[in-house]
Amino acid sequence: MELLFLLILVLLMAVALGSGYPVAFALPGCSIITIALAALCGYLFSGDPSAYFAQGGPWQWLSAGVTNLRGVYWEPERDTLIAIPLFIFMGIMLQRSKIAEDLLITMAQLFGPVPGGLGISVVFVGALLAATTGIVGATVVAMGLISLPAMLRNNYSQSLATGTIAASGTLGQIIPPSIVLIILADQLSSAADQAGTARKALFSESTGELSMPSIFDVGSTSAGEMFLGAFLPGLVLVALYMIYILVYAFIKPDKAPPVPYEGKYDRAFMMKVFLTLFPPLALIFLVLGSIIAGIATVNQAGAIGAGGALIMAGYRLKEGEKRAYWPALLAIASLIAIAFVLALFNTNVKAIHTDSDRFGVALAVVAVIGLSISLIWSGWRALRIEDTLRGVMIETAKTTSLVFIILLGAAILTAAFRAFGGEHLVKEFLNGLPGGFWTKFIIVMAVIFILGFFLDFIEIAVVVVPIVAPILLADPGANITAVWLGVMIGLNIQTSFLTPPFGFALFYLRGVAPATVKTLQMYKGVIVFIGLQLTALAIVGAVPQLVNYLPNRVAFLSDTAPPPRNPRLSYCIDRYVTEEITRNGDAIAQAVIDAKAINLDILPRKIAADAIKSFDNVDKAIENLKEANLAEQRIDEASEGYRPLHSQVRAIEADIRKLRNEADELNVLIGRLNDPSELNDRKALEARVEKLNAEMNALQQTIPSGWEAAYAKFNELNKAESDLRRAYTRASAQAYEPIGELLAVIDGSEAFRTLEADLRAIRGRLDAATPEQFEELVDVIQDMERNVRAVEGTSDIRSALSKARRAIRSRNPDQEKALAEYGKALALYTDQLDWRAKAEAEIAPALRTYEAAVRDTIGIRQQPKMTREQALFVAGCASDHRDISLHF
Amino acid sequence: MSSEAFGGQVDAPFIPKATRLFGWCLLAVMLVYLINNFLTFGAGLPGPLDAVSGNGSATAWSLTALYPIGLILAVVYVGNTGARTLRQDSAFISSINAYFIRAAFWCVLIVGLADVTISFLRVEGLLEGIVGEQLAKDLGRSHFRGPYVHMPLLGLSVIIATFTRTLGFTWLALLIVVAELAIVFMRFIFSYEQAFMADLVRFWYGALFLFASAYTLLEEGHVRVDVFYAGFKTKTKALVNAVCTLTMGFTLCWTILIVGMGQKSSVINSPIFNFETTQAGFGMYVKYMMAGFLGVFAVSMMIQFVSYLMSAVADYYGHPGGRDHKPDLTH
Repeated sequence: MELLFLLILVLLMAVALGSGYPVAFALPGCSIITIALAALCGYLFSGDPSAYFAQGGPWQWLSAGVTNLRGVYWEPERDTLIAIPLFIFMGIMLQRSKIAEDLLITMAQLFGPVPGGLGISVVFVGALLAATTGIVGATVVAMGLISLPAMLRNNYSQSLATGTIAASGTLGQIIPPSIVLIILADQLSSAADQAGTARKALFSESTGELSMPSIFDVGSTSAGEMFLGAFLPGLVLVALYMIYILVYAFIKPDKAPPVPYEGKYDRAFMMKVFLTLFPPLALIFLVLGSIIAGIATVNQAGAIGAGGALIMAGYRLKEGEKRAYWPALLAIASLIAIAFVLALFNTNVKAIHTDSDRFGVALAVVAVIGLSISLIWSGWRALRIEDTLRGVMIETAKTTSLVFIILLGAAILTAAFRAFGGEHLVKEFLNGLPGGFWTKFIIVMAVIFILGFFLDFIEIAVVVVPIVAPILLADPGANITAVWLGVMIGLNIQTSFLTPPFGFALFYLRGVAPATVKTLQMYKGVIVFIGLQLTALAIVGAVPQLVNYLPNRVAFLSDTAPPPRNPRLSYCIDRYVTEEITRNGDAIAQAVIDAKAINLDILPRKIAADAIKSFDNVDKAIENLKEANLAEQRIDEASEGYRPLHSQVRAIEADIRKLRNEADELNVLIGRLNDPSELNDRKALEARVEKLNAEMNALQQTIPSGWEAAYAKFNELNKAESDLRRAYTRASAQAYEPIGELLAVIDGSEAFRTLEADLRAIRGRLDAATPEQFEELVDVIQDMERNVRAVEGTSDIRSALSKARRAIRSRNPDQEKALAEYGKALALYTDQLDWRAKAEAEIAPALRTYEAAVRDTIGIRQQPKMTREQALFVAGCASDHRDISLHF
Repeated sequence: MSSEAFGGQVDAPFIPKATRLFGWCLLAVMLVYLINNFLTFGAGLPGPLDAVSGNGSATAWSLTALYPIGLILAVVYVGNTGARTLRQDSAFISSINAYFIRAAFWCVLIVGLADVTISFLRVEGLLEGIVGEQLAKDLGRSHFRGPYVHMPLLGLSVIIATFTRTLGFTWLALLIVVAELAIVFMRFIFSYEQAFMADLVRFWYGALFLFASAYTLLEEGHVRVDVFYAGFKTKTKALVNAVCTLTMGFTLCWTILIVGMGQKSSVINSPIFNFETTQAGFGMYVKYMMAGFLGVFAVSMMIQFVSYLMSAVADYYGHPGGRDHKPDLTH
């Protein structure tokens, strides 16, 4: 029955949206009406308002919906969304300050003489604007007013001109900072959580094991990562547009002719180019750079962008007047001063200790005041001149509101969709498709593409993504990252701006294009660009590294990068080690041979023995790794034959599980029907359970007879590999740790020697101490212990010292015993002083050479941090999507 | 637009008049609902729920009686102002809403600034030196800061709103930028970061998009799927707007109000009456107000929808003075 109401919900929505009522209110309105209708029907026809819900009742779902509304701004978890008004403010401010116009005119003059040059300049400016304002409507209108007449005047074909402008305007959707990407990141991070839970459940259902190894986890995403991920695909798209225009211009020169510039390319012109290009580029550099370098959060970058836009508006609005550039120059001076102060002083206000700190903070305060004055000055200008600031604020408020109220509306819709089991239905449908992950993925992408003809990007992002993304992310078949999925969806909904009848870009362009341009020509023009966008989609789909590499690179190079021993990295770290060994295997072997020749007799026997044993473990570890890799190869070979069987059986098992769940639900119902009057109902239900059981049995029969054996065999291969990997990990730890520790001990020798004076001084005091002084002495010895502990390899000395301390601390102090223990400590110390000196002089250099030779391979897991080279390798390796379905 | 298109009637004064009556009654009921909500859940008086369930006292019944009284007042008002057109009423109601939103803006502005100052002084341990030990301790409790600091400021805000004429809420867009820039300066230059700084941004940003919604509706800023809509005649557009406002707009607002304020433990009521704060320790103490934003949103949208409904009906009957609804470009 709930499916009927789901259908009613969808139909109501189609009618309401189609009628043209604002989406933000149509979505929640339809949801609430449907919930109320279902409750009413439930009450009328079966006496229970919650009868027609998949689960829960009407009140519960309504309050879930209203709570969802609050969730959009209530908790810090969704703070990324705050970046949206900030970037909108920045974009509208830049639009009002006419930088689009300046850029278009200057770039057209610069690129004009190239075949198709005007078109290329439009794409170039579109990309620049996308990286600053990102507002599609504004960009398209500016281009339609300035570039379109110029192109038409110079005999550009109508369809090429309009297509280029409409498509370039939409670049703002994919080139960061972009509002779609922020919304997608917000939606995907909760989808990734759900997917993680689903995948864990799948793992334990199919393997019977309780916990899933963390290497199979679903990766989440953030707005910063989405920006990084979309960067290269955005450039790919720009390149595709430009190549297309160039090729077109060469094939049909009369339809995209070169346009010579009447002026001269002299110094004044270059200056003009510089002045129009530099400020937006500087802003892009500041905003995207701070995100890419991992310095600022997306919100902070948004604020920086908004501030920068205000300053740019400050001089642009006064163009041609005296003192126009003063606030901007003041801002630049202040920024330079800040950079200077930050480099030279400690400006942490919570840690002002010295006069130099005080001076630094004072300078920083002066610089910040300078920057603030320039901001206020620019703001004042924006407020006074043409009421710009007020207009920007109103537009920002309205645009932010329209985005967020749809987000709220979708929150209620999601609740209603769940209430009627819609989510479950979609999941069943997608998971029931033959062909694994890629069928699902292509179907979802096709649906999004088609929805793009009728809906706006926000609706698609907030309505469709939460439903389908968890299903796609949970699938181990491709094990895709959330960032990649987000960028793919982003590229896909970008087409929604170009697809008639409801394509925003077309709509705006139609509004400003001269009447001589036929609408049909515009449609014809965008077809190619839609094709190019789909091509980009295919390229990014085939080469996921384009998306995954940059976020990985930034993450692994950052200070908070996971250490090499992190189990999530084990696959890539092992690959790195394998490659290193293949390349440097001989050198490593030679290093081991050399190391074995080192005379370790000067060391204490236990340390020497550990070290000697460790050399043999190197060979063992390398051997284990090679075998593990061979085992992996065997798995790969075996999996080709095994995979079809695996997926067939897992599909059957999924069907069986579904039937079993159904039967379990029925059994619960049967358990409730105890009254004799319900005997008939009970019988009916029991018959259905019987039937389900029969179906399950029948399905069970369809599992091929060879499955058990094949599964056992394959599992054995898997187990053999993981055993070998474990053996390798153990052996490599045993191979590296003793040497690493020994070197740490030797490295501490300098510190060790400085202990001597204090240690020896204790003797005199201990000798002469009267019982009253014991307490004081206890503190002295305790301090000494602390100092000793700070040096590696001194635990025996420390324990002798603490025995001495305890001897005088006890109720009956025993000075004799304390002295004896102290004597032991001193003897140990002298002993160690001796061998440390020898070790430092004789064996340390050789040991260091050896350690350096094995550090990056056998010893990699013992390092606290990846080196740059390792981080880059792992970033590349982790960017591939790896099919892990055979583990499930 | 001639009225002949409407079923051939020469004149149809009934529907416009009914619309006015309906709109004012709706507003009256909402006002009584809000008053009752405050008196029953905030002040703890027995309310309509008690009256209906049978153990009603005189207070419970008199609160319940507010509903018919409100309705009667609305009817009397509409009867006495029979000469007013729908357009006039629509503009009047819209301006009431503008005042309401302006007051809400001044509230978040003043409370935000005051609370962030108190939070800063408190984190830095400066509060005791300024206001003394007892007051400093009291200011650390949300049940003190709410009634004795925030509430007077709310009163002040309502007064300020009466004497100002701007939209108000649009400044929140700039204030968010300023507050976030302040975070950037403090964090990157002075290595100073505290929970209340992010709280202030969140406080203002929630207010921005929720308060701006009504104005966005007035200015036709909310996105429509205009595949068909763009081709409709004015009359059809008006019909769509009127019918959908009746069925969906009001439903949404009432759902938020009833689900959010129906019980003491509801989504909006519970944080407000408990002066809920964040768990983050030294943050601002305004989280409970952010729950109230949802109520402000619902109320402001309800008022705006009433105005919108009236103007849609006026459009349908071709009354003069219709606005030209044009979508804006900043999308």
